[in-house]
Amino acid sequence: MRSGPFRRLFAAALLVLAGMPAGAAELVVIVSAKNPVNGLRADQVAAIFLGQSVRFPDGLEAVPLDQPLGSQLRDEFYERVAGKSPALLKAHWSKMVFTGRGQPPREVPDSAAVRRRVAENPELIGYIERGALDGSVRPVLVVR
Amino acid sequence: MQVMLQHTPGRLLSLPLFAFSLLIGGGACAQDGKEPGWTLSGFGTIGAVHSSERNADYTASVLKADGAGATHRWSANVDSRLGAQLDYRLDRRWSAVLQMVSEQGLDNSYRPRIEWANVKFQATPELALRFGRIALPMFLAADYRKVGYAYPWVRPPVEGYGTLPFTSSDGVDATLRWSAGRVRNASQLFYGREHVALAAPLHAYARGVVGISNTSDWGALSLRASVMSGEVTSDVGSALFDAFEAAGPAGAAIARRYEIDHKRARIASIGMNYDPGQWFLMLEASRSRTASLLGATRSAYASAGVRLHAFTPYLVVSRVRASEATRDDGLPTAGLAPADAARIAQLNGGLNLLLATIPQQTTQAAGVRWDLAANAALKLQYDRVTPHHGSRGSMINLAPGFRSGRTAHVASVTLDFVY
Repeated sequence: MRSGPFRRLFAAALLVLAGMPAGAAELVVIVSAKNPVNGLRADQVAAIFLGQSVRFPDGLEAVPLDQPLGSQLRDEFYERVAGKSPALLKAHWSKMVFTGRGQPPREVPDSAAVRRRVAENPELIGYIERGALDGSVRPVLVVR
Repeated sequence: MQVMLQHTPGRLLSLPLFAFSLLIGGGACAQDGKEPGWTLSGFGTIGAVHSSERNADYTASVLKADGAGATHRWSANVDSRLGAQLDYRLDRRWSAVLQMVSEQGLDNSYRPRIEWANVKFQATPELALRFGRIALPMFLAADYRKVGYAYPWVRPPVEGYGTLPFTSSDGVDATLRWSAGRVRNASQLFYGREHVALAAPLHAYARGVVGISNTSDWGALSLRASVMSGEVTSDVGSALFDAFEAAGPAGAAIARRYEIDHKRARIASIGMNYDPGQWFLMLEASRSRTASLLGATRSAYASAGVRLHAFTPYLVVSRVRASEATRDDGLPTAGLAPADAARIAQLNGGLNLLLATIPQQTTQAAGVRWDLAANAALKLQYDRVTPHHGSRGSMINLAPGFRSGRTAHVASVTLDFVY
């Protein structure tokens, strides 16, 4: 029933994704190894990064860190976790900033810097390439 | 409590200004996140509007001196504006914000006005209290209606949003964030007052403005319901009502019924926005009521669009109707001396001219938004605007040739940006 051109298109898209470089295909959402949170759903992560939620599920305050504006990692993260293109994300933060509801997450230069800061502070949450993972941080969501 | 609220706005407004002047003098470095520092951001729209109606000006707000159509065939005044915002964060709990907006006002100048200026105390990560001039969180988009970049259209549908020309109030508010399962909510309670200088020498005041607004986000779905009530007073029509009062008890009764003198105004709205990214659907309905010449209205709109790469074509249908009578027979003229009858007929005519300002209008619009850069969007929109049932709808500066019921074809182009 679900065969036909649509399904073939979907299969082709998957193939394209599988063929992409590992760094572009898979990113992980991380918290400090000191943070007791084990896993988060995509909607929980999206809510924290969009300024709609201010705590981890266990009650600890959550402070998101962003990759630089225009970076491929950042665009993919928001596209997959929140369904937002760079333009829609900009529109979202325009609404938040110009009504006084919040400021966008602080930007950090690259994955290594995100990992370093997150490792130090249990309140921080960030996203990095899977290849940049180490024992100082804990992955709580794999974004494909 | 009452006394404090009556006196705080003026004092509070000077607080952020003082903080900002200190900071600018000190040359603090810009940062965001949790450290102290200040952030400058801004928004703007450059727009041009053409209307086929030559006997009235098309406008999106009654607080404008003119629009497109009668005064100028092409007008930049309908949508053009520039806004700048300075945010200052002292620590995790205290912050302040000042937003200035320059746009055409009733005095035909672009003199910048303080859109809002408030001090925010983040009592807990969930609870924020603000003091000062605060954006009114009515409708889906009323609090960011001046930020064209933030919504898909050239302007929010004038039929609903035009019923609330005020965008801010001076007072206090409290916003509480809370979750119910996967639904994230923000509930906002506000109390304040508002003063608007109308065409000189007229003024409008809203006092004891109290309202509550709740926004719920569940994935791609966002819902907002809000109610607001305030006591409004204005000297609009006061000369006419003085003349009615002088005409005896029946005239005084008409004056009491229609004059905007300490009359309770209520506005309620409910709206939804479903936006999974590839497309969006927005639906919203509102009611407003005042026992005065402002009348009672119901409005609704529906809008949908699809996102095709950088282009977002969209459609809007929108309507506002009066839910109470918009004509009044006024005082009887039968049996009066011809001179008196003419005078009374003139009063009755004046009253019905005022009642014709209660908006009744439908609009069908189609447009496209082009996200041409990371922080800029170009929009083209065509509106088919029909005021009806004797109302002027969202038209101002009517010439004698204006006829309610005639459709105006309105074309708009805007460039929106944020920085």
